[in-house]
Amino acid sequence: MIYGDKKTGVLVQGATGKQGEFHIGLMNEYARQVGGRGVVAGVTPGKGGQQVHGVPVYNTVKDAMKEHDIGAAVIFVPAGAAADAIMEEANAGIDTIVCITEHIPVQDTMKAVAYARMEGASVIGPNCPGLLSPGEVKMGIMPSALFTRGHVGVISRSGTLTYEVVDELTRAGIGQSTVVGIGGDPVIGQTFVDVMQRFEKDPETKAVVLIGEVGGNLEEEGATCTDLPIVSYIAGVSAPPDKRMGHAGAIVEGGEGDAKSKIARLKKHGVPVASRVSEIPEMVRELFRCGC
Amino acid sequence: MKLREYEAKNVIKAAGIPVPAGFLIRTPDELTPHFDALGDAFVLKAQVDVGGRGKAGGILMADRATGTKVAKELFAKQIKGLPVKEVLAEQKLAIQHEYYLSITVDRSSQQPLILFTEAGGVEIEITAKEHPELIRKVVANPLMKDLPPFLIRELLGNAPKEIGPVINKLYKVFIEKDALLAEINPLVATPGGIFAADAKIIVDDNALGRQGITVNRDLSEREREAEKYGFSYVELDGKIGVIGNGAGLTMATLDLIEYYGGKAANFLDVGGGAESDRVKNAVRLVASVPSVKVIVVNLLGGITKCDEVAKGIIAAEIPQKVIVRLAGTNEAEGRRLLTEKGYEMLDTMDLVVKKAVEVTA
Repeated sequence: MIYGDKKTGVLVQGATGKQGEFHIGLMNEYARQVGGRGVVAGVTPGKGGQQVHGVPVYNTVKDAMKEHDIGAAVIFVPAGAAADAIMEEANAGIDTIVCITEHIPVQDTMKAVAYARMEGASVIGPNCPGLLSPGEVKMGIMPSALFTRGHVGVISRSGTLTYEVVDELTRAGIGQSTVVGIGGDPVIGQTFVDVMQRFEKDPETKAVVLIGEVGGNLEEEGATCTDLPIVSYIAGVSAPPDKRMGHAGAIVEGGEGDAKSKIARLKKHGVPVASRVSEIPEMVRELFRCGC
Repeated sequence: MKLREYEAKNVIKAAGIPVPAGFLIRTPDELTPHFDALGDAFVLKAQVDVGGRGKAGGILMADRATGTKVAKELFAKQIKGLPVKEVLAEQKLAIQHEYYLSITVDRSSQQPLILFTEAGGVEIEITAKEHPELIRKVVANPLMKDLPPFLIRELLGNAPKEIGPVINKLYKVFIEKDALLAEINPLVATPGGIFAADAKIIVDDNALGRQGITVNRDLSEREREAEKYGFSYVELDGKIGVIGNGAGLTMATLDLIEYYGGKAANFLDVGGGAESDRVKNAVRLVASVPSVKVIVVNLLGGITKCDEVAKGIIAAEIPQKVIVRLAGTNEAEGRRLLTEKGYEMLDTMDLVVKKAVEVTA
């Protein structure tokens, strides 16, 4: 298990909002199924003293920390308040911070991620579906019905595409150890490399499916930093060349930020790349068959 | 959203970075009052929202005698299909050397990345490829309001020290204007000092509101309509309309269309919460594109209500064929509603895409 397990107490920031309330319900339904602690506290400034699905709500993260043993937080607050929420949690001493919120300005994310790093916290996201370790813990919005427990870790920049891959794996009888959606924004906290390093130390994880997208070179960095066997899939092969980021993008990426050259580089490093999502289960089976 | 050159120059000028004397004109006659300020020789630059305008004839040299005639010529042009409505008339600089300076967001380190080279100018991308060692790079801690002097020294090397303040000022612009990119190329040395001869700023679309920008010019009319509904939408040039939920899944659907030999007409991500009204609007929007012959709907989510989606598709009442893949709750009811009305619902994304490619082949 990485980032948390049954014993992890989860805090939800933005607990009284529509999204927060809805997903506290789903996260705690999952916690009941697997016998975990789930969401133990909520935070919404000014709403301290209320309850959401029986979960007590506090005005500040520090207030909640005084009353509960909390190891992780999930953020559902609006974009304008999300960077502040990340920093509040990091400052209060929470280790794992999952930020579901999308449309946060990049300058805000850069500051919040830098601050969290100084405080020693790991940020997952923003603009992500969170993570789920089947049979242990759900932190975020992933549809738990598609998951089954097993030994394949999944790291993905996408949301629904992750569910598609998990669905394919489950139907093929391949269970998952932990599935992490790291988010699709230009700046994210935990990268492929960070999650891969956690998987390396996780005895439950024997292989990893890496789901990437066009742009940047984080996928290659993640795939080449480990000895774990990997199957990858890169979305965006058919995407027209992106609106160019001036010359800087081309200089940074050496003019090779598109999906085709990314796939070529992964293959060069010996990482198998699926050309369709539906090919992934068979390729994972192949990894286990050859014992590599 | 990309700012136009004159907008970017106004921003960096306000931040204290020297720019050449320049005036924005909207008709050739507006040039006359500025002759004295522009001097003997000047440059007329079309302010159009496309790259590579220089090579496309959008930058012309002129002087006092030819100025109005050249301006008329430029206003009459189309630059890569776009009419010229605004022209920046700018003093011509006596260039001694061209530098390149930019600040962008580095995905790997999650920090601002500053690039500087003494080999600036139009050939910068070739330089980057063939002589990457000439480009100096540093990353900055985004929590700092100013670049520390040691980072500026690392960037400058033996370049003139007067460039140092320009680097720090551009860094402040990058942070304060919510930029994804702030670039000066070329940054030029002249007998009169350092000047930004060109400037490019791209503002984060997620920060347009707080930057006081109400309309995103980078979007087409249909893209803007899509934005109003909360869809993420990109126009392409094929015949297969695509509606998905989530950027990754929608992109994977497009890739699958290409894999099976078809061509997508668009990318439309309906986002979270596929209620019937949202789905109806999405289907109608895609169907309004004349080239669309068939529409693939690929929606997956544990909490997507399939009956709601089905009702939306049916309520759109469009002439084109719609092929649907739905996974979520109330799947059976969704399937019943769709098949009753003659829509095709298939089990996997491979199947729907294959079918759509067959229909358009």
